[in-house]
Amino acid sequence: MTTNGSRPRMVTVRVQRFNPDVDEKPYFDEFQVELTPAKTILDALHEIKTAQDGSVTYRRSCRHAICGSCAMYVNGKNILVCNTPLRDKIDEEGTVTIRPLPYLPIIKDLVVDRSSFWEQYERVKPWLIPSADVPEKEFRMSSEEVAALNKAETCIMCGACYSACQVIAMNKRYVGPHALLKAFLRVLDPRDMAPSERLADVGDQDGVFRCHTIFNCIDACPKDLDPTKAIETLRKLAQKRQAFEAARRDRQRMLNEPIASS
Amino acid sequence: MIEHEVIIVGAGLAGSWTAMVAGQRGVKDIGVLSKIHPLRSHSGAAQGGIAAALNNARPVAGTGPRGPLEPVPQGEDPPDSPELHMFDTIKGSDWLGDQDAIEIMVNEAPEIIYAYEHMGCVFSRLPDGRIAQRRFGGHSAPRANYAADYTGHVLLHTIHEQALQHGVEFYSEWYCMDLLVEDNVCRGVVAMDVLTGEIHTMRAKAVMFGTGGYGRAFEVTSNAYANTGDGVAIAYNAGVPLMDMEFVQFHPTGLYEHGILMSEACRGEGGYLTNSEDERFMERYAPDKMELAPRDLVSRSEQTEIDEGRGIGPDGKGIYLDLRHLGAEKIKARLPQIRELAIDFVGVDPIDDPIPIQPTAHYSMGGIPTDADGQVIANADGQVIADADGTPVVGFYAAGECACVSVHGANRLGTNSLLEASVFGRRAGHAIADFVQNGAELHPVTGDPAERNRQRVARLMDGAGSESVEAIAQELKQTMTDDCGIYRDKERLAQAMQHVGEMQERFKDARVMDKSKRFNTDVLAAFETEHLLTFSEVIVAGALAREESRGAHYRTDFPKRDDEGWLKHTVAHKGEPGEGPRLSDKGVNIDWDRFPPQERKY
Ligand SMILES: Cc1cc2nc3c(=O)[nH]c(=O)nc-3n(C[C@H](O)[C@H](O)[C@H](O)COP(=O)(O)OP(=O)(O)OC[C@H]3O[C@@H](n4cnc5c(N)ncnc54)[C@H](O)[C@@H]3O)c2cc1C
Repeated sequence: MTTNGSRPRMVTVRVQRFNPDVDEKPYFDEFQVELTPAKTILDALHEIKTAQDGSVTYRRSCRHAICGSCAMYVNGKNILVCNTPLRDKIDEEGTVTIRPLPYLPIIKDLVVDRSSFWEQYERVKPWLIPSADVPEKEFRMSSEEVAALNKAETCIMCGACYSACQVIAMNKRYVGPHALLKAFLRVLDPRDMAPSERLADVGDQDGVFRCHTIFNCIDACPKDLDPTKAIETLRKLAQKRQAFEAARRDRQRMLNEPIASS
Repeated sequence: MIEHEVIIVGAGLAGSWTAMVAGQRGVKDIGVLSKIHPLRSHSGAAQGGIAAALNNARPVAGTGPRGPLEPVPQGEDPPDSPELHMFDTIKGSDWLGDQDAIEIMVNEAPEIIYAYEHMGCVFSRLPDGRIAQRRFGGHSAPRANYAADYTGHVLLHTIHEQALQHGVEFYSEWYCMDLLVEDNVCRGVVAMDVLTGEIHTMRAKAVMFGTGGYGRAFEVTSNAYANTGDGVAIAYNAGVPLMDMEFVQFHPTGLYEHGILMSEACRGEGGYLTNSEDERFMERYAPDKMELAPRDLVSRSEQTEIDEGRGIGPDGKGIYLDLRHLGAEKIKARLPQIRELAIDFVGVDPIDDPIPIQPTAHYSMGGIPTDADGQVIANADGQVIADADGTPVVGFYAAGECACVSVHGANRLGTNSLLEASVFGRRAGHAIADFVQNGAELHPVTGDPAERNRQRVARLMDGAGSESVEAIAQELKQTMTDDCGIYRDKERLAQAMQHVGEMQERFKDARVMDKSKRFNTDVLAAFETEHLLTFSEVIVAGALAREESRGAHYRTDFPKRDDEGWLKHTVAHKGEPGEGPRLSDKGVNIDWDRFPPQERKY
């Protein structure tokens, strides 16, 4: 890259446009944006929307990869645009191509309809089912138990995995990696009172056995989580549910006791 | 027309607690509006922790205020207490917090943490399985309970999921634009279904606002795009006053040039602040608490370093946050998100290099005045709207960052606001359940409020004006930062006042570019900007009137706290068009025997 120091380097940002009320099919608009070191793709979109074309439509909120609003398909990969530097996504032609998450109905431009995504999320009963008999203070949990749950707890429900999943692309009845990760979180939580029912729920053909282990979800996850592994764990547990149930009952008898250091 | 028993605007911690509790209490018909999906609410961005004196951890004896922590052995005297938490909060508030409300908050704190834990929150743990705790600025004991450095995320997901169980109806991506109050009785709201662009009048027996903060009025901010203070501005427009709006917290550690938060947990875990001369300059400003002095003080110290030429970075407007001595293991275990953000946004791995940071607008202490049950109060003397008999704005509740109870007074302590949103969100849920179950009614609305608001949209789309919404928003943020920021004085504030007024005028000619109905975020941005202009004027008016320095409000021309003249809340009512806010005041609740005002030294 050579610059003469005065002329700004411009990047072409191609944005897929589509308003179903007026457009027959999606098309691309091109915008020129100056490249600066600190600029993220979201900054570029904001610049386009506020200075060039206010009708360019996308979701965003927190700006730092925790709210899950801004997953999009950029140069062929699902990413969060808020924490991705513009400079990292420029292809050989000096272009960045932004499209909505694939396989989901488009509401407008880069905004997709995540209804099926949320339905599956609710289907797995994402809430913990607590004991009716809670201690006065906290349940005791070991740091290892917490560490195992963190691998699911930090999911931001952005939909990047869901929309990268080949099975979802063909069959929206599949529960999907995000909701199975949530089910994993609850099943592995020693405080949950219904792990066995959960395993029965996700242990059917639309659940863990539908995953083809293609690993797209892992590649797509902006938080470096591993839904495939969680699904495999659930699959194994579903296969030996009785032993698992017995182990959970034992654990719950001790849940109000200090963790013994090993 | 849509009708519910209860309408809640906002699905962060405050709104979700209210919804869940009202649902649990048997209120059948609850609608919750959120302009973004509930799980996108900004509560999820909170990193550091939520305060409560659980007495799980304590400093190792004899190691000083920054030494290591250890579990409190079973059966030993608890080192921390709600009383101590209360004192720290009062001192942090620079004695402007209402002590009755603070007492309620600190007493309910442990119970709230255990409630979250029982509902499935995955807190970080001590080796014996209890919830881990760490230090936070202004707290004299380690009482920040946390889930690594994504505490808010974990709390938000937990409470949202619990609320889902109680038959609450979520209106996700609905934008509230008007509050309907007539004769001191709240009747509902007007909101746009963002997907279709349709505008609806929504009636309810009770309305609750949990609409969050308004850091977006400033150029550099830790706040999400969504934090535009809509609820605060909407309530003000409906005749409800605002309280203590001049108190805006600047957080000492926003990422340089981005404003994105580097949690105070960085310093709680032992991080240093250094200037261009490699000096831990807090030695000169708060020799005792050092980096863990409260935020207002640390931010001012940074700003002084920067103003005196000891800043870092190309423009000299930065400071270094140095975590290197914590070591890779601790950074990865306790501050994983911080590390990721520093790498992604400024290309610095905190294990190897110091992180460039700068003060960033962070938290809004002021807001809609309420009592400790979320009931909105409106009169200067703590009664309700400015009418003669002083009855409440019947059926209107608020909690969380948009409200002013006031527990934070002139300066909030870190980890107290997740607590506030939870405690008072829950209390509002109970108060609303009582209100509805004691026979509250739906009240009629005059005219066609939805149509009135459709006209507002039409003006933005079809009018002849040519002002750009974004240009006005940018100018406003610059003005608020330059003239109403960390250091303030009469001259600059007067200038800001005039400037904001001019921008309000110009906004009348603002036009949007997107003319379509479907998912029109251009129109939403215009409404949000109008709201920024509305409450910014109140911030500036309060700052101009308050001729003293207290907590986050610092006047270089009045550098001392003045308890004679100013130990009182600022209350602002909307004046006639062109008139500006009408200011009055309200006494502070102080327990003179237990916690009389003292000098605030760290
Ligand atoms: C980066 C960051 C880190 C923080 N870390 C901590 C911490 O560690 N500890 C701590 O105690 N505090 C922390 N805080 C502060 C704390 O997170 C907030 O004060 C608190 O979460 C506010 O909760 P809330 O429920 O009031 O509002 P929010 O969570 O902001 O929710 C607001 C809700 O209102 C909705 N809404 C707003 N306007 C409208 C409208 N017009 N129509 C419809 N819906 C609307 C939004 O969609 C959203 O659902 C942090 C803040 C920031 C910015």
